Order: sequence, then C-alpha cells, then structure tokens
Amino acid sequence: MPRRAIGIMTRLMQILVAAAVSAGVHAQENPSPSPAATESDVSARSKALELAGAFSNDGYKIRDGYWPGEIEQNRPQFLEVNLFSGNEYWFSAAINPPGRKIAVSVFNEKGKPVDFQTYEDGQVAAAGFLPEVSGRYYVKLALIEGDKAQFCLLYSYK
Amino acid sequence: MRNIVAKLCATNTLAKLCAFVLSAHMIRIRRHLLVAFLALPLLGLRAAESPMTPSQIDQAVRLESLTIPMPGEFFAAINKLERPNWKQLVRTGTPEATANRAQIALVLGTLVADGYIAVEAQDGQGVKNIGKEIINLAKKLNVSQSVLGRGNSINDFAENNDWNALREELEATQNEVKLDMFEQKDSNLVTLVSLGAWVRGTELTSGLIERSYTPESARLLRQPAIIAYLLEQINSLPQAMRDDPLIARLRVTLEKSLGFVNAETPSKENVTELHTAMSSVANAIATGQ
Repeated sequence: MPRRAIGIMTRLMQILVAAAVSAGVHAQENPSPSPAATESDVSARSKALELAGAFSNDGYKIRDGYWPGEIEQNRPQFLEVNLFSGNEYWFSAAINPPGRKIAVSVFNEKGKPVDFQTYEDGQVAAAGFLPEVSGRYYVKLALIEGDKAQFCLLYSYK
Repeated sequence: MRNIVAKLCATNTLAKLCAFVLSAHMIRIRRHLLVAFLALPLLGLRAAESPMTPSQIDQAVRLESLTIPMPGEFFAAINKLERPNWKQLVRTGTPEATANRAQIALVLGTLVADGYIAVEAQDGQGVKNIGKEIINLAKKLNVSQSVLGRGNSINDFAENNDWNALREELEATQNEVKLDMFEQKDSNLVTLVSLGAWVRGTELTSGLIERSYTPESARLLRQPAIIAYLLEQINSLPQAMRDDPLIARLRVTLEKSLGFVNAETPSKENVTELHTAMSSVANAIATGQ
C-alpha cells in the first residue's frame, strides 16, 4: 500500500478514536453537539482529509487542527488564519448530506476577496492561496446547494 | 498547485469525459474552448465574490489550533528565502526545574518550537531529547497516558528519520497536551503553550532576519493579529495568573512588540527591537526571572 495511503488511513483511525475524546473541546466551540452530530462530524472530516491527502502528495503538510461546524445557505462561515508570504496553502472542506455543494474562498485582512485557486466537486471543495503579504486572512465556507449540513475544514501548507 | 488541481480534476467524471474528448481529433478552436471551460470553475478569482461585511469580519471564528500558525509553518517560509544552518540553532540543555504551572506550560511551548528546529536540522537525537523533555514537563501537569505514548512515537519517527511525520507528531503532541489541560479544567494553560511556542519561534526567526535583513524576509514578521490574539488571551486569564510576574512581563513585551510588526515591511530597527524583546522574554520563560 502506498505510504500516503497508509498515512491517510492512520489519520482516519486517529480521527475516529479522537472523536469522542475531542468532544469536550468542540462542545465549547459548537455549543450542543449531539452524538449523531459527532458521527457526522467525523464523516465530514474523513472526506476533507481525503481531499487534503491529495495535496500532501505534493509536499503539503496537513495541520493537526480542524474546523468543524454546521453551515446553511446564505449564512457563510468565516475562519481567521495567519499566513506567511512565500508559503503555499490549501484549505480543504467537506460537507455531509443534506448539503450538496460547497465553495471555499479567501479574503484579505480588510475582507476583500483575493486571487486564489479553487477546486470544487459537490460536497468537497478547496481553495489554494499564495499570500504576497504575511498577516491575517479569512477563509470563507459557503453552502451553495442543499440544506443545513455539518462541515469540516482542514488546512495544509508547504 | 496547477498540477494538483489537474490531478484532482482527473478524478471527477466530467474531467474524465473531457480528457477523452480532448484526446480525440478535435479541431484546435474547440479544444481551446473546452480547456477554457474546464479552467473556469477550477482556477482563478471567483468573480461574483463580494467583500466581507464588517459584521462578518467581527464574527469570524478564531480557533487556536488553526488561527495561530505552528513554528513549522514559520520555518517553512524562512527556508524558502534562505535555508539557515539549522544544526547551529538547535538548543541543548534541560529546562530549569519549576513548580510554577504557568511557567511549565510556557516552557513546554518553547520546547515544541525547539522540536521543530531539531527536525529542520534533521537531528534525530536532538528531537528525541526534546520529546523526552516535553513528556517530562507534561507529566508535571498530570496529562493522560495517551500523551505519554506520543513520546514513544516521537522516538520511533526520529529513529527512522521520518521528518515529515515528526512535524505532524510535534503538533499532535502539543494539541493533545492542550486537550488534556482543557479536560482537567486547566484551560488557562492552553494559551500559554501556544504563546511559548510563538515566542521561541519568533525569537529564532527575528534573529535570523536581523543578521541578514532583507525587506522580503522582514515581511514574514508581520504578525500583529497573532500578537493581538495572544494579548486578548492573556487579558482573559484569571487575575492571580495575570499578576504572575512572568505573565505580566510577557504582556508588556507583547504590547511593545505590536509596534514592531505592524508595518507591511518591518524596518531593520523594528526587527532588531523585536529580536531583543523576544530573546529577553524567552530567557525569562526559561529561567522564571
């Protein structure tokens, strides 16, 4: 089995084991996760990880942290990140049904859209970005089609 | 990056169909049109994207595990400008013993940054030693058995010179320690681990940039949002912890440092001042004075 595949499988196993353990932390970020939501959360993470795994094949390192939550149409979610000029980044996200299509985009510290690359394939999407200036940026996750759904976003860099 | 998008594209059905059509004997203009059509949803700026509203900016989520970069990310950017002699930068020696839990959390953070330095230096023994120190400190904070198991993983990866796995393991260890702190109602210490790692990472990088200053390298130090975040976290600590002389000193240093990293390109003087401030506070973390 290729090394990357082993890595991804190990990570997925870690995620499944860690899900119950991490529930406490996410309880604060996400006030009332039900057991079902936790399972759904793991599923979204697995899909996001599968997508991010494709980037790690090209030397991108996946951050250990992840952003889980719930998203609905016309209520995009934003994550604040601090990026370094010279590095290359991919933000990979996935949603579970009944969400059908998502999009990821990047904004500068003033909230203006920046030039980035996108990958979109229904329930998974990613934005690739090369900052020219170090500092604060925002990653936007928007539900384009479907109903309120659990999402997970991962962050890779090289 | 374009290659990755192409690889991903190849996995979706539409792309496979398009690849088939492209391989056929199409006239040149139709081929160009199809390539342009494929590129539209995949590459470039989303034209319809409107700027964020002030309330969206205010309500953006901040997660310490993603909003604050790890030292490895900082070092990756440094390596692209000019790879330092990392072997010379590996710090040796055991941290001074202390019973102050805030100081232990800060030292633990600096050790995580030192772990990344040893990984960049590809110093397997150095990584093992630092991993051992991290676990020893974590034990003092009564962390769980699962964190202690991370020490074995660090040793195994160092034994096999698996540097990428070590980078991931260092971050995972730090996050697991933080999770344990959180579960033990020690969440005040969580930010101090991140703060320690950031101080040590910034001490090192500002020193490197100071020695061979270029505007391009100085731009890496532009991190006012990180400092503002760390200050907010310090200000939300319980009063007793804020009154700890070490924490009070850290707060003053961070407030002063904000002025050094606000410009898009910090000046050489700013870099020198930042390095002096970070060295002083890193020394205070190590010695408790």
